[in-house]
Amino acid sequence: MLVGLTAAELRLGLVQFDWTFVFQIANTLILFLFLKKFLFKPVTSFMEAREEEISGAYNDAEEKNKEADAIKSEYLEKISKAEEEGRTIVKEASKRAERHADEMIKDAEHEVASMRDKAKLEIEREKTKAVNALKNDIAGLAILAATKVIEKDMKEEDHKDLINKFIDEVGDAKWQN
Amino acid sequence: MGSEGFGPRVAFTIPGTEIMVSETVTVTWFIMAVIMIITLLATRKMEKVPKGPQVVTEAIVGGVRTLTMQTMGEKNVGFTPYVGMLLFFIAFANLAGLIGLRPPTADVNTTMALALMTFFMTHFFGAKSKGIGSYLKGFLDPIPLLLPLNIMGELANPISLSFRLFGNIVGGLIIMSLLYGALGGFTEMLLNISIPFFQVGIPAVLHVYFDLFAGLLQSFIFAMLTMVFVSMAMD
Repeated sequence: MLVGLTAAELRLGLVQFDWTFVFQIANTLILFLFLKKFLFKPVTSFMEAREEEISGAYNDAEEKNKEADAIKSEYLEKISKAEEEGRTIVKEASKRAERHADEMIKDAEHEVASMRDKAKLEIEREKTKAVNALKNDIAGLAILAATKVIEKDMKEEDHKDLINKFIDEVGDAKWQN
Repeated sequence: MGSEGFGPRVAFTIPGTEIMVSETVTVTWFIMAVIMIITLLATRKMEKVPKGPQVVTEAIVGGVRTLTMQTMGEKNVGFTPYVGMLLFFIAFANLAGLIGLRPPTADVNTTMALALMTFFMTHFFGAKSKGIGSYLKGFLDPIPLLLPLNIMGELANPISLSFRLFGNIVGGLIIMSLLYGALGGFTEMLLNISIPFFQVGIPAVLHVYFDLFAGLLQSFIFAMLTMVFVSMAMD
């Protein structure tokens, strides 16, 4: 050491290896270990954990989306099936209703026809009855008139057959009108 | 050793020994303390949704990680803390000139310490990944005659690595001290006052180049070369 200089005034050589080398190796290693333990390890693991969490969340969301899509298509299918079923039911019901109506109309027609037939028969019967009554009346009148005309007691029973025969021959065509 | 020149000053001598602790070491301690405090502040209260300083911390750590992965390959991502240490330490050391400290990297002991660590890492990891036999055989490539050249080439690496950094920083340091001296002399000569006005502002331009630009560039170069040497030795 040079005489007359304090340590702080002393300069080491510009290119000179000394104890500083040892100190610097130790310092570097200390700094390395410190940074590794307190900066790089915690921050890296923190970031990785977050990255994992985010990608996990994304995967989850994607899975849920897929699930939702599947459920949606399933429901759509169900809805379309239900619609078709509804359509079939309505078609069947309307067919059935049509058939029912047809039947009812046919029944009604039948009934009407039978009622008309019955009415016709009735009318025929009444007519015959009336004609017969008239025939009787006319026969009576004719006998009466004949009696008055010939002034002779004609026995009704004797001549009734004769008169009736006459009426039948003369009147049938006319009475029918 | 003396009181002249551009070598580092002796800060103190460890009592009872002849071991002199230079300002290189004390400034290194200061830088280490600064880096450690910043680290502790930056990694405090980490939240899942990053905000404020945590964004910067994550960007820096992620950036160093990406750089290491891109340069050394996915499998060597474990070198990230070492690369980060080199980047941060050398960058802070080179920038120490801006606050009037002597950059620790302006001392060949520092740069050689770093370069030798790189050197030993290169050969340790090279031998580990290739197996000691094929690693040693690599020195005989492409022909055994080149063995001495290969060995010299390997030995040249730490020397060039350390002196590149040292030369850049110490060159800037010397130019800056010469400039400060000259500017001080000019003020006294031209204005005849002993307050060195010219030292204000004018050196800033050169500080930007020598400390900021060269300093950051050299820290990047050192880290890059370390990564390249180690990964090349490994495969």
